[in-house]
Amino acid sequence: MDVLLQILVNGLSVGAVYALFALGYTLVFSVLGVINFAHGALFTLGAYLTYLGVGGAVGSNGALAGWALPLALPFPVALLLAGVGCAGANLLVEAVAFRPLRRRHAEPLLYLITSLGAGVVLVNLLQIAFGAEGYALPADALGDLPPMLTLAGARLRSVQLLLLLVCAAVMTVLTLWLERSRGGRALQAVSEDATTARLLGIDSDAMVRLSFALSGLLAGLSGGLVGLSVSIAGPYFGIVYGLKGLGVLVLGGLGSVPGALLGGLVVGLAEAAVPGDLSGLKDAVAFAFLFAILLLRPQGLLGRAPITKV
Amino acid sequence: MLDGSLLVQMLIGALLGLSVYLPLAAGQLSLATPGFMTVGGYVAALLSTRVAALGGAEPLYPLPSLLLELLLAAVVALALALLVGLPVLRLRGIYLAIATIALNEILRVVLLNNSWTGGAVGIFAIPQPFGDPLGYLAALAVLLLLAGATCQAIARHPLGRAMAAVRDDELAASCTGIDSFRIKLLAFAASAVLAALTGVLAAHFFNTWNARQGSFDASITTLAFVVFGGSRHWLGPVLGGLVLTALPELLRPVGDLRLVVFGAVILLGPLLFPQGVVTPALLQRLLP
Amino acid sequence: MTMPPLLELRAISRRFGGLQALEDVSFGLQEGEIFGLIGPNGAGKTTLFNIITGVTRPSGGQVLWKQTGIEGLPPHRIHRLGLARTFQNLRLFESLSCLDNVQVGLGRSDRRRALELLALFGLQARAAEAAGGLAYGDRRRLEMARALASAPQLLLLDEPAAGLNPGEKQELSALIRRLAAELHLTVLIIEHHVPLMMQLCDRLAVLNFGRLIALGRPDAVRHDPLVIEAYLGGAGGAGGAGGAGGATEDPS
Repeated sequence: MDVLLQILVNGLSVGAVYALFALGYTLVFSVLGVINFAHGALFTLGAYLTYLGVGGAVGSNGALAGWALPLALPFPVALLLAGVGCAGANLLVEAVAFRPLRRRHAEPLLYLITSLGAGVVLVNLLQIAFGAEGYALPADALGDLPPMLTLAGARLRSVQLLLLLVCAAVMTVLTLWLERSRGGRALQAVSEDATTARLLGIDSDAMVRLSFALSGLLAGLSGGLVGLSVSIAGPYFGIVYGLKGLGVLVLGGLGSVPGALLGGLVVGLAEAAVPGDLSGLKDAVAFAFLFAILLLRPQGLLGRAPITKV
Repeated sequence: MLDGSLLVQMLIGALLGLSVYLPLAAGQLSLATPGFMTVGGYVAALLSTRVAALGGAEPLYPLPSLLLELLLAAVVALALALLVGLPVLRLRGIYLAIATIALNEILRVVLLNNSWTGGAVGIFAIPQPFGDPLGYLAALAVLLLLAGATCQAIARHPLGRAMAAVRDDELAASCTGIDSFRIKLLAFAASAVLAALTGVLAAHFFNTWNARQGSFDASITTLAFVVFGGSRHWLGPVLGGLVLTALPELLRPVGDLRLVVFGAVILLGPLLFPQGVVTPALLQRLLP
Repeated sequence: MTMPPLLELRAISRRFGGLQALEDVSFGLQEGEIFGLIGPNGAGKTTLFNIITGVTRPSGGQVLWKQTGIEGLPPHRIHRLGLARTFQNLRLFESLSCLDNVQVGLGRSDRRRALELLALFGLQARAAEAAGGLAYGDRRRLEMARALASAPQLLLLDEPAAGLNPGEKQELSALIRRLAAELHLTVLIIEHHVPLMMQLCDRLAVLNFGRLIALGRPDAVRHDPLVIEAYLGGAGGAGGAGGAGGATEDPS
């Protein structure tokens, strides 16, 4: 029983991260119908920015070796600033990798290529600045919170709980915002039909920027939290999550917000259930799900069947 | 300046560029070229180091055994490509890009965690069918010529037009009598086979083989070949593979910036030079 | 003693989510006739084209081609049976030359035949140019040339006159008549310009909100109270500017 509960707890907290990832993709996808492959790189950026924010110094292998901010911010502040920084960076990605293509109505394939390029440039610039080594956020970053909680026999690290709470909060706020607010409904209108939305006086360019800023914010927040939870394994660690996030995205259904959550939790739980002696294969779980869903239900668990526009 | 070893790597680059080009010519982005190359390399590495009968008595690895490896690698890659392509290519849009990323990752995880394939260290001391780089150059040049000639023949054939039509507008192509699923599958399978054949020769040349050959970096690098060279004519990716493989070696000072440069090529190429360096207009001027 | 129809729709319906785009639509096309499909924007005309050509599956009903059901076949198989179409929003192979666009339609390399087809539409001088660079009217004509290349028995034209000036509309109308006669074509045509349709078509079907509200000869349809109601009652635009803005018909 305890084992099962432990798997559940671990699975949910990992799944929450995947869900945040898939949500970041979903936000952009639902407006533009394309995937922003730079998302994983922004996640990495968020982790490094959070690390710098709490006063961490650059290691000896980076071009900025030994450099640190002159001050150490409390973790929540550093995390929020990192999120804002990533929102800004994603706006830059939109301006460079997406907008020029949108102007000339380029094929969706090209967005994949340019955003992949943007991600690669960003990750490798981070590698030059910080070196390839891993970084750990200070263990006392959460201040007075106890590092470990016990819950009905299952052990849960505070940071895992925090991840779960952030994921739940983001999900709730996002759903409410999309359904209830003027801005959210405008975003949905643009995703349904950009031409009609424009006729209704909705500025679709502004909506595109909004979706990039929001998904950048999400990437930054989750990057900082995961950096605290499992440490930053190097500049590529966001890419690894980003690739899994794609699997989660397809599993849940491209463009579906609840699908992103469900997909994330399913993959997280499945990974947690992989027995210890096969743990090396854990990283293949998300992709196995991806192929399974493409075979059985290509629109994903909660996605709608695509409608051909002619 | 240009030593034999660098030339071999440039030809490998050109072949990988062609492998990425083939599905792209039908509007499909496959990031699995390094993955299929890895598979081909493992077929060669496993057969030549584990199957004693293939080794022969001579100090050089026998060419018939090499041919057998090429054949087997092609079959394995083809099977794998069909396994991935059959469900995925029925869907329109960006699914192949995502599925090929997934394929790379599954391959990497499985190869790393399997003692039979040498785990993380991979396979060492792969025997040499050729005594010096010249032999590899010749073998790769033959493969490149064959692949190039095939691409040239396709371009003049209705198949080439059908691929371009699917790339431009898949739905309109379907409504004009083109079985777009078959065209996409064909292009993807050809891409996989070519990458696997290249992998066989590369594994022997490098003498050691491991799962890192199929890393995400490699996907980016091979994609850069095509974006740089252009995907409107097969000479584009060949040129891209040759030049971009030579570039980091010739410009040593670039060093750490190598991937930043490739990333910038992929980011800015489609914006500034949508057709790449080798455009149909350019070719028309050069080869009237 | 009527001949069995070349194409017959039996109780076709199609839902998109909660929206009923087509409901219980039935009619047949006789070989050799020019058949018009009219109705306000959003009436389901393009959706019906998509169902006939295999782009969209019907939620219910049957599409019979020479009395054999073809619903559910993929578009390329339906095309090979002898049905070719054009698109409301023009879908050319933009990077290919005009010649190659037509050769894709031919399904083989045949320069001479392709040039003949281009000449039929006055495009022979543009043969080597990329389709993406053509003027609007030329693009419309090239799309028709591509559709005709496969020597279809049924040609489906989705708003072929949209965006053309009155003179060009008249020319197009004459061309369609001539082609139908010379090539023994059956034509199914969607067009907003009602006067043009009245003059061009042998029979008309009128769709409104996914339902067939009238079917018959132009004179009869013109005076049908339901048709007058559909065009004047709110949806508007009888004989109007014709395909204003080319809004898509599929709700998505």
